[in-house]
Amino acid sequence: MTAAGTAAPDRAAAPDAGVDRAPLARRRRNRMLVQVACLAITAFMAAPMYLITLAAFSTRESLNAFPKSFAPADVSTETLRSFLGATGVVPSFLNSLVVGLLTLVLSVAIGTPAGYALARHVFAGRDAYQLFLLFTRALPIVVLSVPLARFFITAGLSDTVLAVALLHTALALPTTVLITASIFTAVPRDLEEAALVFGCTRASAFRQVVAPLALPGIAAASLFTFVLSWNEVLGAAVLTLTNRTLPAQVLGSLQWSPLPYRFAGGFALLVPALIFIFVMRRYLLNMWGTTLR
Amino acid sequence: MTVPVVTSQISARQPLSRRSLLRSGLTAGVAGALAPLVSACGGFGTSGGGSGKLVFLSTQFNPIEEGQRFREILTKAGVDTQYVPMDTGPFAARLNAELQAGKPTVNVIGGLYGQLAPFAPGRLEDLSDVAARLSGRGYDREVLDLAKFGTDRTYFIPWMQATFILAASKKALEHLPSGADVNKLTYDQLLAWAKAARSANGKPVFGLPAGPKGLLHRFLEGYLYPSFTGGQITTFRSDDAVRMWEYLRELWSVTVRASTNFEFMQEPLASGQVQIAWDHVARLTEAPTNTPDGFVMVPAPSGPKGRGYMPVVAGLAIPKGAPRQDEAKKLIEALSRPDIQVDVLRKNAFFPAVKASIPADLPPGIRLEAGAVTAQQGASDALLSLAPVGMGARDGELDTVFKNAFTRIVLDGEDIRRTLDRQAKELQRLLDEAKAPCWRPDAAVAGQQCKVA
Repeated sequence: MTAAGTAAPDRAAAPDAGVDRAPLARRRRNRMLVQVACLAITAFMAAPMYLITLAAFSTRESLNAFPKSFAPADVSTETLRSFLGATGVVPSFLNSLVVGLLTLVLSVAIGTPAGYALARHVFAGRDAYQLFLLFTRALPIVVLSVPLARFFITAGLSDTVLAVALLHTALALPTTVLITASIFTAVPRDLEEAALVFGCTRASAFRQVVAPLALPGIAAASLFTFVLSWNEVLGAAVLTLTNRTLPAQVLGSLQWSPLPYRFAGGFALLVPALIFIFVMRRYLLNMWGTTLR
Repeated sequence: MTVPVVTSQISARQPLSRRSLLRSGLTAGVAGALAPLVSACGGFGTSGGGSGKLVFLSTQFNPIEEGQRFREILTKAGVDTQYVPMDTGPFAARLNAELQAGKPTVNVIGGLYGQLAPFAPGRLEDLSDVAARLSGRGYDREVLDLAKFGTDRTYFIPWMQATFILAASKKALEHLPSGADVNKLTYDQLLAWAKAARSANGKPVFGLPAGPKGLLHRFLEGYLYPSFTGGQITTFRSDDAVRMWEYLRELWSVTVRASTNFEFMQEPLASGQVQIAWDHVARLTEAPTNTPDGFVMVPAPSGPKGRGYMPVVAGLAIPKGAPRQDEAKKLIEALSRPDIQVDVLRKNAFFPAVKASIPADLPPGIRLEAGAVTAQQGASDALLSLAPVGMGARDGELDTVFKNAFTRIVLDGEDIRRTLDRQAKELQRLLDEAKAPCWRPDAAVAGQQCKVA
């Protein structure tokens, strides 16, 4: 008490008498640098989004102005409305949604058991198998597009949403399997064994103990899948003719469109992805948390 | 979609745990995915038509607005059709897959000559009967010859055409060199004009579409090479060609630096960043939309060997073995009607392939273009030059040779003679592989392969 009492005026009188303040200052400086870095990264990500949004809600005249202004001059929903009103934009949005959710369900249904097996069972060639899984992504879809489309046409599935969902499932499976495997590795085996000791069967132990613990990670993996499906263009473009997904319908044409349309289209593609990320961001961190451990 | 489900469950059971939130989210997701599946496994139609309509797959009118306008025009054709525009890559992949599977679902295809050529003649239906019925429409002889691919049958029906011209803001006209007629420019006058405009503005205002998707290679193949050397392939490394590249270097020194980003010149023209530009007509139309009196459009300049210009031809064809060919032919004939072709010009800036009287009430950009296009074709020194013919799959690579020469000589400043010699070898290799005879403006000798002199 007295020591503290005497120390306080002392410190006020001679701030660095006998105390090494360098670590504190360094820590403060580092913390500030981290903050600055965070701000810089946020600005790096947010600036294009801001500019796209600004342009999507501008009139054509203000878009043609040179040099362009950074503040909203005149707000107009005209381009956005005519973009959304164009043939096929709304149906293709729905198609994208259906394909994304179907892909999500299929890849979780197929990928999770595979991930569980990889995490829990040691078998010959497991590491090679994990590596081999990634090879499916090594082939660019451009090379595969003709045989793939040919296969789906022969199978009578061409030009359906189901065909696109199957393709996206195949594309997403490697990542789903590897992510869920690392999530199941993070769930302690002891807990599962304890459940077995207390009378669970393998299935009910999985359902009641392992699955709840792994669920946030699985949700994050499925978010990954959904975004992959939402963004995939070429496969969807080749497999469908009249039932296209949003990227297949507009992404190919946006690069040839006048500027106002590019911004309106960019905005329409950006918003759903942003909403999805906002809803799921907590679980995203969760996924990285477990896989990095 | 998931939000209302989540909130209702929150109010029903508290507390809000991560698990309950996720569980309800997943349930909603599964339900959402399954519900539309039960009702429609195929998906939602995105080309404005149900089943039973013809499918018209095309590489043209990809931009949303253009596609929309063309769909309106299609309703006048009297054949129920869904229009599916696609990028070149997916177009070729899709068509290849359908033809290989032996089950074409596409009824009619439309594309530029170079995009149809890889499928001709073996994988396209013979349309000679349609061509015979349409013979009175006044097609260009040259274009009809293209559709034969060296045989005596016709494999596509010319659909529409376009070309490349110069556009300039009226502000730039005051810097024209004295004695120059803007409608009969020479390349030397263009250079003097660009120089004068630069000194008046303090920065360059001449622009070229040298961006990744710009059409600068057509400027080389169809404009500079023919105008300066009288040829396109045979004269690739001639002394005239060296002079041409020296000219282009000088022109580039008074060209807007951002040109390597430009793909459509209408945008920098409309914003005023560029005041004089060369580009494809369909990529210039929008420039005068807001200021109809602010622009002029004129024929491309002429050089020592003439006024080189390049027409762009699009055609309509039927894939081999496609279903419902009678209806498809009916659609092709309807699209060849002069009134429909004029509609395409009015709405989408592609010029008719048939003889049609051009109406006076066109939108400002197209009216300006129509004048320039007619003047360019009708010029006494006009020198027609074609985009690569008969190169098949090598088509794009030939363009790359020209683009690479530009990058090396003009942007990187490499030695002209040495670069041309090196690129000429590449060019010859492509010609050897395709075994293609020369095309205009080079003298074509049937059966004799084209050689770089």
